Amino acid sequence: MPETLPQPAKLLVKLHGKGSQHIELTLNTVTIGRKTDNVLVIEDPAVSGHHARIVKIQAVFFLEDLKSTNGTALNGRPITRHQLRDADVITIGQHRLVFQENVAPSTAAPAPFVDLDRTTVLRGTDRMPDGPTLSAKVLVIAGKTDRVEYPLTKQVNVIGSQDGAVIRLTGWFAPKSAATIARRGQNYSISPSRDAKYLLVNGADVAGQQELKDGDQIEVAGVKLTFCILSGTK
Amino acid sequence: MHSAKSDTGLKRLHNEDRFVADPPLGLYVVCDGMGGGNAGEIASALAVEAICTHLAEATQRADLPLIGSCDATVSPTANRLASAIRAANDAIHRESWSRPDYVGMGTTVVAALLHDEVLAIAHVGDSRLYLIRNGAIQSLTTDHSWVTEQMLKGFITEEEAERSPRRNIVTRALGVENSVDVELTEVPVKSGDMLLLCSDGLTRGVHPNDILHILGGSDSLPVMSDRLIAMANEAGGDDNTTVVIVALRDDLQAGLWERLKKLFAA
Repeated sequence: MPETLPQPAKLLVKLHGKGSQHIELTLNTVTIGRKTDNVLVIEDPAVSGHHARIVKIQAVFFLEDLKSTNGTALNGRPITRHQLRDADVITIGQHRLVFQENVAPSTAAPAPFVDLDRTTVLRGTDRMPDGPTLSAKVLVIAGKTDRVEYPLTKQVNVIGSQDGAVIRLTGWFAPKSAATIARRGQNYSISPSRDAKYLLVNGADVAGQQELKDGDQIEVAGVKLTFCILSGTK
Repeated sequence: MHSAKSDTGLKRLHNEDRFVADPPLGLYVVCDGMGGGNAGEIASALAVEAICTHLAEATQRADLPLIGSCDATVSPTANRLASAIRAANDAIHRESWSRPDYVGMGTTVVAALLHDEVLAIAHVGDSRLYLIRNGAIQSLTTDHSWVTEQMLKGFITEEEAERSPRRNIVTRALGVENSVDVELTEVPVKSGDMLLLCSDGLTRGVHPNDILHILGGSDSLPVMSDRLIAMANEAGGDDNTTVVIVALRDDLQAGLWERLKKLFAA
């Protein structure tokens, strides 16, 4: 029986002294602030003009503080960027926003009794799936890309012009795929793609695969990038 | 280029393993079925059929809904592969209720889907995928088995795991429950890499170093697969053995334009 598709996540907005309302997080970016060009406008002098935003990356939501004066807290702790999980409480000034992700309850039917002669299945040891942890990013120093920094949220992060590339090159002659940054466990490594003419890390040519360290300078396909490990943002 | 071979082994009457090797689609799968009578064969056959059907449908219709949740850490292609495996779980689970002798049937699966220079790997159970690169062999899957979990927790050593009478207990399988936890991984691959997908018939008796020795000892993929099967049978042949060897090469047709471009750029 296929699982039903998840319903859109919601935000329960509890504005101080104004009751509460639900908004559906159907947009990829929901901006929050005092100015009227925000998706969620909070009229309060303690709230910055552009205070924070909720960004959806595929199925995962992230909360980002936009360098607000008074800060943004998640579950009581100040954050700059953090993944949102069901029932997380965002605090902006005296206002509270409760993130509600519609996690479909799994109605597991009683499993059939198994008596197998050979390979047998032991149940109930399913691990919790590891959530995507944002622990590294690259900053664009020079070159044509569609953004100035990219969180490396995927296991394989393609640098190139192709659809689905994490670091999107926008130069005219940018190759579809120039290089890939791959995560295995807590280690990141970079390797050139077939179409790459060169790949330099800290000025040295990389032919096969090289592990990346915090602060490494990457040069490929006309762009310069800095690799950064983000510590403590789990 | 690939070579796939499946063998019943020396002690079993049936071959419950099934495989897929579909280079145009970039899909390679090994399933090791389990269950009484011929239920194991049914389960593994249903699995490969459902996986291929789901992926074929997805190429026809880009808006085909994903089954199960989307993992943001991997590409849409990898999520599609996981979706196909969940479709297989549904198909087997549904069928397992249709006849009394099918109750509880299931199968392992290891599936690899190649897109551009990225390999998406999904697996459930103790069938494995090895990457052979620059003369070294590395397993890209971690068995969902009792002994492996005990080993990872540090309760038993690798040697104890290899000798354990509980080696045949898997902690996840397709079709046994109404939903399945699929482990998804993605890695970059390149020309010159070799992949080996195999059932536990190979890995129970044959050490990875011996596998590496065979894969490096010939230029012919069919010779390699024959030798691997022979080695599994020499080690006892207790179980069915299936091997799918894939040698990754620059695709000649797609590569022509790229090579021309490089020629002019050089």
